[in-house]
Amino acid sequence: MKKLRIWKTPLFLFCLFLGAKSLGGPSLAEGKTVSFPEVSGWKQAEKPQVFSPKTLYEYINGAADLYLKYDFQNLQVGEYRNDKKASVTVEVYRHQTPHHAFGIYSQERLAKANFLDIGSQGYSESMVLNFVQGPYYVKINSYNTGADDQEILLTFARQVAQNLEGPSSLPAILSSFPAEGKRKNSEKFIAKDFLGYSFFHSGFTADYELLGKKFKIFVIEGKNQNDCRDMMERYLKQTENLEKKSGEGSYRLRDPYHGEVDLYWQGKYIWGTMNLDDPNLRSTYFQYFESFFKK
Amino acid sequence: MGGFLYLSSTEKQPQEKVAYRVLGKTGIRMPVITMGVMNTDNPNLVRAALNAGMFHLDTAQTYQRGTNEAMIGEVLKGRPRDSFAISTKARLPNDRNTGLYLAEATEEAYTKKIDTSLKNLGLDYIDIYHHHNVWRRESAFYEPIMKALEKAKKAGKIRFIGITTHRNEPEVIRAAIDSKVYDVVLTAYNFRQQHGPEVKKAIAQAAEAGLGVVAMKTIGGNIRGSYASETIDARAALKWALQDPNVHTIIAGFTTFDQMNLDLAVMKDFALTQSEKNHLRRAKLFSGLYCQGCGQCLGQCLKQLPIPDLMRAYMYVYGYRNLVEAQDLLFSLNLPSEFCGDCSSCPVKCLNRWNVSARIQDVVHLREVPSNFIA
Repeated sequence: MKKLRIWKTPLFLFCLFLGAKSLGGPSLAEGKTVSFPEVSGWKQAEKPQVFSPKTLYEYINGAADLYLKYDFQNLQVGEYRNDKKASVTVEVYRHQTPHHAFGIYSQERLAKANFLDIGSQGYSESMVLNFVQGPYYVKINSYNTGADDQEILLTFARQVAQNLEGPSSLPAILSSFPAEGKRKNSEKFIAKDFLGYSFFHSGFTADYELLGKKFKIFVIEGKNQNDCRDMMERYLKQTENLEKKSGEGSYRLRDPYHGEVDLYWQGKYIWGTMNLDDPNLRSTYFQYFESFFKK
Repeated sequence: MGGFLYLSSTEKQPQEKVAYRVLGKTGIRMPVITMGVMNTDNPNLVRAALNAGMFHLDTAQTYQRGTNEAMIGEVLKGRPRDSFAISTKARLPNDRNTGLYLAEATEEAYTKKIDTSLKNLGLDYIDIYHHHNVWRRESAFYEPIMKALEKAKKAGKIRFIGITTHRNEPEVIRAAIDSKVYDVVLTAYNFRQQHGPEVKKAIAQAAEAGLGVVAMKTIGGNIRGSYASETIDARAALKWALQDPNVHTIIAGFTTFDQMNLDLAVMKDFALTQSEKNHLRRAKLFSGLYCQGCGQCLGQCLKQLPIPDLMRAYMYVYGYRNLVEAQDLLFSLNLPSEFCGDCSSCPVKCLNRWNVSARIQDVVHLREVPSNFIA
């Protein structure tokens, strides 16, 4: 292994600079450092810990894999203590985009949680408050905080949210899901391998229940029309529907793993339903999507 | 699952051609591949895996904050209870630096974890409940958790007690053997581990003692097809782990049907081809830069330096050519300006046989390079 002895020469440093620019992976220096707030009555126990994609595993073990799938960039952890031996831990996960932060947040939220107006959205339960804002997913845990638990968590959450950049609204595409029948807060963003197929790079889903029927609606946003064409052709091949022509419009396919899947492709969007047998209802929903994306 | 001729420690059913092994004294006969469900929320993927013969599912209470267990529970509704086996796991707060449990790690808290998993999964009992993420012998013997698990087993809430480890694996595996409480060990085991021979030996001892052995992180510690510039052939890596007859099943995490089908193929045939052997050999050479985090060096250095972190900085420079990440890491360690090199000889004995002192002195100078010059 060559030693880095010539690092002091300007030429070598310049080469390092070029090398770092072209080969560099994610970097804490590239991201924003979050400043942990001062909270009255609480003292930060030690310097914040920082974890990168390579080291996240040391903090959250096997759960790290899923965060990495959501383009996790870095984690900063601040610990607070008060003189009553209570503690609060603030974890700030930064992801590549607000969609990714929402995605991992949506994976972990329960539809029936106690939702709060913090950041883009948040929820709390005993000793836990999680929220998402911009590219940040924030998880706050408390210990030994007694009856004031929720108030303490809210105080921390508000102060942390103030220090975060990024939009404080959920992804705009979520408003494309029809309200009728939608189970509130069931929306998810799947960042990779949507529907279990690597060619469907990502997608949004929501759960529905209407007239006694349970079904899912999803939307895939391609980079452009050609991207959608590519995805459709691969899906037709995967599901052995090669006789169908790949053009914009509607499809009804038999997927060996998902059963009946209905799709509607227009422009750079593919939306679809799963387990929805009612053709009138399907048609109504598709018309809704069509008019939404024409706006 | 039916009765067939007992061919060897690995059974291959003529009709199915799937290889099975028995999980130690638990007597559970399971396919050599277990589905690791942690990264998916796709119930149809789990259904497909079960329908294709992946009898054993592995999850954890922390995966997606319990919704992973709940999703599995929905899939399992209506299936005969003896048509699948479930492993899950939970951990309690510990000191990140010492691995020892904190005051809030009580028997009551752990019992609550077990009950929550039962509720999430919608089951009357769980096949294997793992004491999760242990890397100290003392933690393996931590009484409050062991008591909670033993009581749960006695009450019929869990069938078998397991323990998981991905650091200091030989120490934890031996603790599990000595405890006479654990029935199963779930351990990191892959072709890249520099202390692989020690892990292999500990696994053999565990199997000899009748413990079931489940391997994880078999794809060289990477998740499939993701982070960093290296790509590991998942099929080759899975096959490598199965060459060891003391490994009874390995956890394969997958999120696509194609990955599932690849793993199903390995379940039927895990003989390594020459090309696969060559690939693993090359991939292991690269891992000459990858600190396995075995922790053996900690405590050896007279100045208590964070050697695994410094080795990681070295890897960023020489492996990934990522000077920014290396420099960030060095700064975050808050070390004094001079901290290595004035010992008459370095007492650190790295299992990788690295010259740790030389590597530290090589990489530490990066702190002196202006950040904006390499950003």
